[in-house]
Amino acid sequence: MEVTLTECDNATVVKITGSVDGLTAEQLSASIAEPIAGGRVRLVADFSRVNYTSSAGLRSLLGAVNDSRRKGGDLRIAGLQPQVERVLALAGFTGIIQIFADVEAAVASYRN
Amino acid sequence: MPAPLPTSGPPGPDSPQVTLVIGAGGARCAAALGVVKALADAGIGIERVVGCSAGAVFAALVAFGYTIDESKAVAMRLWKRELTARRSMFGMLRAVAPRLFATKAAAGFELHDIRFPLRHLAAAFGDKCIEAAVLPLHLTSTDFATGELVELTKGPLVAGLRASLALPPAVAPQRVGARLLVEGLLADPLPVSVAIKHGARVIVAVGFERPLQERVESAGRSVLQLNAILANNLLRAKLAFHGAAHHAEMIIVFPEFRHRVGGYATDKLAYIIDEGEQAALQQLPYLHHLLAGDRALALA
Repeated sequence: MEVTLTECDNATVVKITGSVDGLTAEQLSASIAEPIAGGRVRLVADFSRVNYTSSAGLRSLLGAVNDSRRKGGDLRIAGLQPQVERVLALAGFTGIIQIFADVEAAVASYRN
Repeated sequence: MPAPLPTSGPPGPDSPQVTLVIGAGGARCAAALGVVKALADAGIGIERVVGCSAGAVFAALVAFGYTIDESKAVAMRLWKRELTARRSMFGMLRAVAPRLFATKAAAGFELHDIRFPLRHLAAAFGDKCIEAAVLPLHLTSTDFATGELVELTKGPLVAGLRASLALPPAVAPQRVGARLLVEGLLADPLPVSVAIKHGARVIVAVGFERPLQERVESAGRSVLQLNAILANNLLRAKLAFHGAAHHAEMIIVFPEFRHRVGGYATDKLAYIIDEGEQAALQQLPYLHHLLAGDRALALA
């Protein structure tokens, strides 16, 4: 899995490539903790290149959502692939996390 | 007798292992056989099997080492229209005149004549006990008095399966010891909690969402639709909680049936099993990496 951070408008876009699972969960948590620690708490997780996710990966994502919200921000997801969206739906994530079709829409949501 | 599935039997000390959980889903649960085949072909063993409702029947078949062909034959005999077509005359009389035909035993009330499915369960499993399975086997049911999930790990297998399948008023509760037990689905349609409780590290959870009605034009279909909505929401809520709250890694296998598959679709068994295998194959790359990582940690 690869994670890159870019600033876009008033949000930090976390672009993830690969699998979000038990083997990559710690790396994902550490990558997202970095901007949160620096006060950048408006996050957009770009999932357009995430092809697989498991319960352990989702737990790390949930930790990031909680951390960002505790500091007044949020983590919003963009560009879900259908097979990943199904797992998120079954795991209850689609009910508690804001999901957008693409990064542009997710970033724009912070302006509202 | 054909050789049992290669996943059956005590696992070798070095073979990677998963706990298999098979949820409720009628004949669709046969997809678990495809999952087992995919795991076996990949050299991944099963250390424990948990089953709920119809999933309990397939869990038993896997745990006792039945081949896929034998399992298909059992499913073909069980999931027939006769399963619910034969009415219990006494049950019907009690439904229309409860005072006249009342008995003290709540367990005696049922609208369906279940001698047919019980006969086939008995023919498939004989007088086997749950604890005699080659792999540790857990059947789940629901306590009719409290609504709690009940885990059966010993005692007569056919009675345990009946307890996991009993849905009043169609099928009377099953008495096991001091408890009256009903459908496992009512407590948890995909009981991964049982696997977690027994220390499972990697769980392959084979689940099924109930298909929603294409048209709701009758009272009967309204009831089916309501049941499906309720069951699916319970399934997702339980899965969400266990996924977020526990350390175990859950590999979620929800076969996607492109063709509509009803609860009695035994004519589509080959298709159902194939969809299960295809769904499992998608999970194998990660499963291999995960189990290899676990083994490396264990050896370090």
